[in-house]
Amino acid sequence: MSAISTDRRRQLKEVGRHVVLFGWLLFALFPFLWILSMSLKSTADALAMPPEWIFVPTFENYIELMRDPEFAYALGNSFLVVGGSVLIVLLIGIPGAYAISRYDIPAERDVMIWILSSRMLPPVAVIVPFFILYNRLGLLDTRIGLTFMLTTINIAIVVWVMKAFFDGIPVALEEAAMVDGATRFQAFRKVVLPAALPGIIAVAIISFIFGWIELVFSLVLTGTETRTAPIYMYQFIGSRQIDWGMLAAASSVLVMPIVLFLILVNKYLAAGLSFGVALKE
Amino acid sequence: MAGVTLDSVRKVFSSGGGEITAVDDVDLEVRDGEFLVLVGPSGSGKSTLLRMIAGLEQQTSGDIVIGDEVVNDYKPRRRDIAMVFQSYALYPNMTVRENMSFGLKMSTDLSDEEVNEKVNDAAEVMGIDDLLDNNPGQLSGGEKQRVALGRATVRDPNVFLMDEPLSNLDAKLRTVMRTEINRLQEQLGVTTVYVTHDQTEAMTMSDRLVILNEGKVQQVGTPLECFYKPTNRFVAGFIGSPSMNFFAVEAENRTLRGEGLAYELSAATAEDVAGHTALTFGVRPEDVSVKSASGSSNDIECTVDVVEPMGSVKYVYLRTAETDREFVAEIDGQQPIETGDTVHAHIPEQAVYLFDRETGTALHHRSVSEDAEMEISAATEGGAADS
Repeated sequence: MSAISTDRRRQLKEVGRHVVLFGWLLFALFPFLWILSMSLKSTADALAMPPEWIFVPTFENYIELMRDPEFAYALGNSFLVVGGSVLIVLLIGIPGAYAISRYDIPAERDVMIWILSSRMLPPVAVIVPFFILYNRLGLLDTRIGLTFMLTTINIAIVVWVMKAFFDGIPVALEEAAMVDGATRFQAFRKVVLPAALPGIIAVAIISFIFGWIELVFSLVLTGTETRTAPIYMYQFIGSRQIDWGMLAAASSVLVMPIVLFLILVNKYLAAGLSFGVALKE
Repeated sequence: MAGVTLDSVRKVFSSGGGEITAVDDVDLEVRDGEFLVLVGPSGSGKSTLLRMIAGLEQQTSGDIVIGDEVVNDYKPRRRDIAMVFQSYALYPNMTVRENMSFGLKMSTDLSDEEVNEKVNDAAEVMGIDDLLDNNPGQLSGGEKQRVALGRATVRDPNVFLMDEPLSNLDAKLRTVMRTEINRLQEQLGVTTVYVTHDQTEAMTMSDRLVILNEGKVQQVGTPLECFYKPTNRFVAGFIGSPSMNFFAVEAENRTLRGEGLAYELSAATAEDVAGHTALTFGVRPEDVSVKSASGSSNDIECTVDVVEPMGSVKYVYLRTAETDREFVAEIDGQQPIETGDTVHAHIPEQAVYLFDRETGTALHHRSVSEDAEMEISAATEGGAADS
């Protein structure tokens, strides 16, 4: 009898757990659902108060979005600038983090804090200096200028996360590779980098997301030539009215690449965000 | 294959303004095909010494010669060595096969088929041929150890370097792998330098031992030589388990007194220590016998503090009646004895070691049988590399 009741209790517990988790999921995802439903509503439906939960979905917002060449252009800009900045930030940040992790660097702690300090000021505080600097250098309204900006924003997190990751990879691995006939660089490339892959993927995603949704610097440093997708979206918020349907459709499209990316690398991400502590030799 | 020679090798680490001498002026010759064990307590510099031979650490001064090449400025990959690490250091993102072929691919021009063939052969020798497609994460400790050894042997290097390779294994597996490494080394005949802090490994595996302490070589010799003829107090205390008992004594004519001991030496032994008054008296626990009645004036009256039955033997912790000084006797497992008993400890003179208390230098060794003497001296004459 007691066996049955234990089984029963375990079952109930399991059901309860799922109910709670589902409730939490609904809560967490509600804004997404809201935006998604909004993007599928006609203008009249979108403004209805109280909100209509049941409506005839329409794709007119998406169709209008797709017809606008400006949107495709902005999306292309975003991909180029954000993709480029992620590439550069990885190329600089990973070797930098490796060097700090492996070599004796004077005042290592201070160097790390110095790198982090680039993220300590609120963007508003540095935006005017950046504007003046970019103006002088002729980088205003250029893709390369924005790419550098996003690189600056992301370098700190790449160096910090990757250093923690490299610290978790035993030095003996590289030593074994070097004794086995590899140069220091080969040991880094063939042994350390593959072991650090989860971390690299994690920081690549984080950098991509930060760049993808960056608004403040992009707003100030870009012009008509280099508008990114978030800036393009901004135009739907007018001084007199907000085009909710279009805003929601553009937001949904913008979120898509990140969601796809996350689904693809899901299994690396958990390991990556645990900072390499779980690395098995 | 090649020997390894270290010539006045020093390693000084600077740390926070201060300097630490990890390896202090070491001269050493590892003979071609020899199994040499570097043994010492932690911080004795044994691992640093090994890492300098590997080229993972650069010596501050001195020369390292492998074969007949001075390799001081060679990177590890040019030294043609293979190393087994304490943590095994298997490449986590490669299969066992990839782990084992990595070195061949990096350091030779062999074709893929030749590499595969060599890996298969080495895997068979190590009994890991059915694990070749696994990842290191799927292996047990013992299997990882075999893969690490296989990865080293497949390269057919000049020298094997092993840095405490067994210390992560459980006791039973350690014994198995000990024998296996020994057999492997004999089969392959590759010069091997093996670092351990475990004196059982040191004694059982080595052709010769190098005992290190505080960066200095204390003694180089065969296991038996180091056991029976330690050059100083440190070696005497380090080799042998339980450790040798030491008493601080003063010599008055032929009588040694101190710490509850009053021991009269024979004329021959007394001659060895003539001119020294401050001495350390040493005797190994297995040479102390415990009796209920005193049989000689040299016997020490003591009480039994703790008895540790080990099966075939018992370790008896005794306290001298006069000075409450603790020392250990190893007696027959069947001899009845109980905590609190008053007994007499007998130390035969042929088992006595005497050291200069200031310098620790051995002045008098225990006597050994003629056969053992032959064995020890034969090995010693085989090479006079020790300083």
